[in-house]
Amino acid sequence: MPRSLFQAHNISLLEVRGNYVHDGRVTNLRLFTTFLAVGLLQAQGPLVTNANGFLNSLDETQRSKVLFDFNDATQRAKWSNLPTTMVARAGLKLGDLNPAQRKAAMSLLSVALSKKGYEKVMAIVEGDEQLKLASPARAAGPMFGRDLYYISILGKPSAKDPWMLQFGGHHLALNITIVGREGILTPSHTAAQPAKYTVEGRMVRPLGGETDKGYAMINALDEGQRKQAILNYKVADLVLGPGQDGKTIQPEGIKGSGLTTAQQAMLLDVAGEWAGIVNEAAAAIRMAELKAGIGDTWFAWSGPTDPTRPAYYRIQGPTVVIEYAPQPLGGDPMMHLHTIYRDPTNDYGKKSVAR
Amino acid sequence: MRLLALMMVALMLATSASAHRLDEYLQATLLGLTRTGVDVELQLTPGIAVFPSVLPLLDRNLDGRLSPDEETSYAQWVAKDLELVIDGEKAPLRVVEMRFSSLQEMHEGLGSIRLKLHGNHAGTRLAFRNHHLPELSAYLVNCLAAPGDGLTVGRQERDEAQRSIGFVYSFEPSPGKPWISWLVGLGAAAAGGLVLLVLRRHRT
Repeated sequence: MPRSLFQAHNISLLEVRGNYVHDGRVTNLRLFTTFLAVGLLQAQGPLVTNANGFLNSLDETQRSKVLFDFNDATQRAKWSNLPTTMVARAGLKLGDLNPAQRKAAMSLLSVALSKKGYEKVMAIVEGDEQLKLASPARAAGPMFGRDLYYISILGKPSAKDPWMLQFGGHHLALNITIVGREGILTPSHTAAQPAKYTVEGRMVRPLGGETDKGYAMINALDEGQRKQAILNYKVADLVLGPGQDGKTIQPEGIKGSGLTTAQQAMLLDVAGEWAGIVNEAAAAIRMAELKAGIGDTWFAWSGPTDPTRPAYYRIQGPTVVIEYAPQPLGGDPMMHLHTIYRDPTNDYGKKSVAR
Repeated sequence: MRLLALMMVALMLATSASAHRLDEYLQATLLGLTRTGVDVELQLTPGIAVFPSVLPLLDRNLDGRLSPDEETSYAQWVAKDLELVIDGEKAPLRVVEMRFSSLQEMHEGLGSIRLKLHGNHAGTRLAFRNHHLPELSAYLVNCLAAPGDGLTVGRQERDEAQRSIGFVYSFEPSPGKPWISWLVGLGAAAAGGLVLLVLRRHRT
């Protein structure tokens, strides 16, 4: 595709050179990014259509509850790891939607997320339903469950102007800022309790990839590298969890430049568990950004490296902070996991919106 | 089949169906370094199981609510329990902001106490230790990054429980304001010219 055609369609080329390996085939990366850029524009179309479809399914009162100003800083930051009965969320509660409205809401979410991301999110929500069933009944009503998740939209869904989709509740907060072809997922919180459950004979681990890939990463390091990566102190919880917007800490652990190419690829793959939650087109942009900064990205670990025992880890680079923290809140910490995903330079899409 | 699955979940969750902190008083500290001092942000979150031990320390008269005096008194007690040393000298911390959740929220394991403190000392070597209620507490302590301010922090040394941290740090020299330099330069040149003129007149 000639460059002029990109300009005519206002599509910017990603300045990445080299070869892209997919299913054993080597493709010219320029060609790949060409298709990617076209795909990005196409990806935002269904998102806006689905957002409008959802809004059109609502009555006036519901619409006034679900819509917020794009610059509503209070609503933007109104998310938490805690149940919605403890920290109230605004927007529309899934439990208050009729089946058609609920289907439209889920359809919007599925287009905003990748297939794998949507499955992960649904597994977190289903886990909360399992938690409800396993908890004693409360006179005040349930504290957990799939009906207690909220959806909200900040701004007007548009392919051109920035807007935001929020979906969350207990153990989940997705803040997706859509700016043209970008879908920025930071800050977001994913968590799981139980971190492992069985439905109709099938084992579900909502954060299984985050867990397995983290342990694989630390165990792929040699002794010298592990000495750098493993912190000599206990990390009891997320450092930059909910309520810590706009903060960055000093990085620690092993720097990406001290990893082999294969280890750098593994680290990117771990980060991909979070970056890959948004739809494939937006995730590809994000992964390219993380790859560009991999040499300056740190990996820190606290705790045992035995995959059966709980440990904390952190990935921190120029545009990313990821934390994974088992929760010592009674019971097995490995059954209760919290994570946070941030981009200190672009949380809530502030950099992209300013651009 | 579904019933069996649910029974398995129930079994797995029997001891862990809780969303909130239980048996620890989590004290999370963020240290913010500036060219003129140190800002300390502290978030204290009592778990449900330890709250009965923390409650009488907060609600001194046990009337079931926190008065401004009780909040101030507790915040000042915490400040005294924090030890900040800059370049080998003790740097006292002053409470500049405090926010307390209600006792009910804390009782439910949801509430926290947020304190902001400030120390005026600036330097290059920092040591910090938290002595507040060690028998109940779990700690986090981290130094905030300030890349825009030219801050560089050396290797951070902590004890295993994260009650203490120590490191060296420095700031890049502050970039001067060029227009001030120009003004000073012009002023100096003008003054020099005047002096020369006066001297010449005296000679003639």
